[in-house]
Amino acid sequence: MLKATVAALTGALLLGAAVPALAKDKTIAVSWKTFQEERWKTDEAAIKAAVTAAGNKYVSTDAQGSAEKQAKDIEGLITQKVDVIVIVAYDSDAILPSIKAARDAGIKTMAYDVQFEDPSALYITFDNIGVGRLMAKEVQKVKPAGNYAFIKGDKGDPNATFLFKGIMEVLGDAIKAGKIKNSCETFTDGWKPDNAQKNMEQCLTSTGNKIDAVVSENDGMASGVVAALKAQGMDGSVAVSGQDGDLAAINRVALGTQTVSIWKDATQLGKKAGELANMIADGTAIDKLPGVTKFNLGKKGVEMNSILLEPTTITKDTLDVAIKAGHITKEKACAGVKAGSVKACG
Amino acid sequence: MTQSTETRSEPALAQEGVVTRFLRATEIDTRLLGMVGALILISVCFHFAGILRTGNGVFLSPRNLWILLVQTSSIAVMTTGMVLIIVMRHIDLSVGSLLGVIAVIMGYAQVYVLGPWLGVGHPAIWIITILIGLSAGALLGGFHGYLIAYAGIPSFIVTLGGLIVWRGAAWAIIRGETVAPMDETFELLGGGPLDASIKATGSWILGIIVCVVIVLALYFGRKSRQKFNFPLRPMWAETFLGIVGCGITLGTVLLVNSYYFPPKLANEYAERYNIPIPEDGFLLSKGFAIPVLIAAAAAIVMTFVATRTRFGRYVYAIGGNPEAAELAGINTKRITLIMFSIMGVLAAISACISSARLNAASNALGQFDELYVIAATVIGGTSLAGGVGTIYGAILGALVMQSLQSGMTLLNFDSAYKDMAVGSVLVFAVWLDQIYRRRAN
Repeated sequence: MLKATVAALTGALLLGAAVPALAKDKTIAVSWKTFQEERWKTDEAAIKAAVTAAGNKYVSTDAQGSAEKQAKDIEGLITQKVDVIVIVAYDSDAILPSIKAARDAGIKTMAYDVQFEDPSALYITFDNIGVGRLMAKEVQKVKPAGNYAFIKGDKGDPNATFLFKGIMEVLGDAIKAGKIKNSCETFTDGWKPDNAQKNMEQCLTSTGNKIDAVVSENDGMASGVVAALKAQGMDGSVAVSGQDGDLAAINRVALGTQTVSIWKDATQLGKKAGELANMIADGTAIDKLPGVTKFNLGKKGVEMNSILLEPTTITKDTLDVAIKAGHITKEKACAGVKAGSVKACG
Repeated sequence: MTQSTETRSEPALAQEGVVTRFLRATEIDTRLLGMVGALILISVCFHFAGILRTGNGVFLSPRNLWILLVQTSSIAVMTTGMVLIIVMRHIDLSVGSLLGVIAVIMGYAQVYVLGPWLGVGHPAIWIITILIGLSAGALLGGFHGYLIAYAGIPSFIVTLGGLIVWRGAAWAIIRGETVAPMDETFELLGGGPLDASIKATGSWILGIIVCVVIVLALYFGRKSRQKFNFPLRPMWAETFLGIVGCGITLGTVLLVNSYYFPPKLANEYAERYNIPIPEDGFLLSKGFAIPVLIAAAAAIVMTFVATRTRFGRYVYAIGGNPEAAELAGINTKRITLIMFSIMGVLAAISACISSARLNAASNALGQFDELYVIAATVIGGTSLAGGVGTIYGAILGALVMQSLQSGMTLLNFDSAYKDMAVGSVLVFAVWLDQIYRRRAN
């Protein structure tokens, strides 16, 4: 279904690009929560490119990791009478009064990557439960039956449980049918690779190396898992998942020691958000946007219009996607790979 | 210091003569006995809990004990320095972050500087990397020491700052990326690859050398006591110590040699070194892993420094009474600076072990290690009031902590209960220690 919506969206955008006159002279603002984390620079470049390509103006503010500063930022943007405010909320509750003020001033808002629960806003993010589903699907493709180990993230992070929910949606039936056995399942303190390595070593010891697949909830932990497997000579023959599109993980995918890394491409998210902001500025109602679905899995269960993008699956066969997107150089991705074993490496 | 000390003390009351005489004659530290007892108790409990739960106990298997030693080595190296820091009435909260930033520096150097410059796999890479790491450790640790000793900022504050600063620096250097893979020779320091352990023959040779050293040490110890007219241990006590020491050494050799490589790796090894594979399969023993040997070497060197050098005696003197030490003419500032610098070097050694073991350097490496190092040191009998503490105790403490954690993981315990248990053991151990000290006085 997601693929279809993405296709519809692209179609609609092509249509929009054919009539650029419509979008002229609108102002799209982005209120960033911080630029301390490097990734937001990638998001900004993508949004800016999409906005200016349609002939609109891009303005931005940086809340520098403060909820108060962000409220003032948005106040300022409302005074400037911008057309759409895209918000990466620092605090998803403290932001709500600012959203109401914008709504009262007739300005449309978008929640970018971080959800705040206001029914008037559009929520755009990657499908997080989908990440778990994708991981499990790719691992299951390689090892449809056998003993599985689950290396989960930190027990204090709701995302760890969230991901596991998605994983179990895919594998639940096979586990019930006895095709897949849950041999080890453990949380990993602080998502730390070295803890994941210890947990994996203990898992291999207690099962006497009888493990066929490991569902690791991110790439960092996957590095620990692979190190533990390598010490038993099992790296490469056991399916291992991960997420984040870590450069080292992409290299492991090329080497064959990791099966899949689910990658949330910030450029893709930013580009889509910029394009949607253009359409909203032109007067498209939020619930009439192409590909919009209802989302109510937030803390308070408020139903919002949302666009959930499907993350990119990086496997041996799709490696070139990350290279072509400029996320990783071919040299780095293919370091140590035997010639001819991976298509993208040549 | 845990239960076994308690049970030991009851029969001791009943038949005081024999046990007290035995302990006095052999000069065995009763707290050491307590620690060893606790370790054995924990192991046996986990082993049988495993049998009850899954039908086969794996805790006391050579494989698990071998892994346990490797998993403990990084923390163990750092405890050898932490003991002396705490003995000096200081604390170092920054060791985990130091480990992280040094691992990242070494990872960056290998992958982005030395690799492209010298060519990946160049034999000098690992040596240069280690030198970079050790100098970084000495510098950063020394910097902490300078601020503490000469600028007069409390060590708690300096190293608390360090804990935050160096973790941030680790992130900034690689922008949150995980750097991998490490140089192939460097990776041996972690104990993972085929060549990262000294196999059966190497382990036997090492074991026999250690036995000879033990016997010689007892012999020369006795001679020098005679020379200075010190009281001598009875001959039977000397013999007993020699037999126990050698027994433990050779027993450990036997243990690490009865963990074999999986057949696939054994065959790979045979192929690499042109060893003919016998018909009934090739059994290749692991033997001592390199990180375990590094930890043992660190423990021996640091014990020597603590007990046999002027520097070590100064450290204990400062810990016993800083003012008196200063008035006695000890340059306490210089000793403090050097001690923190040594701690930095030890953190760098642990950084080598951790990043080599993971075959990657990430900015999260070593996070919370400071807590485990301090906890292990304290469980091992080092007094936070200063002046008292032994390195072998701290290493046993590290083994206790790691046994608890790995044992509970083997039993598939929820990690929440794991944390609760480890924290409780820390407090419980210190409580027992207090009782012991009060009785001993």
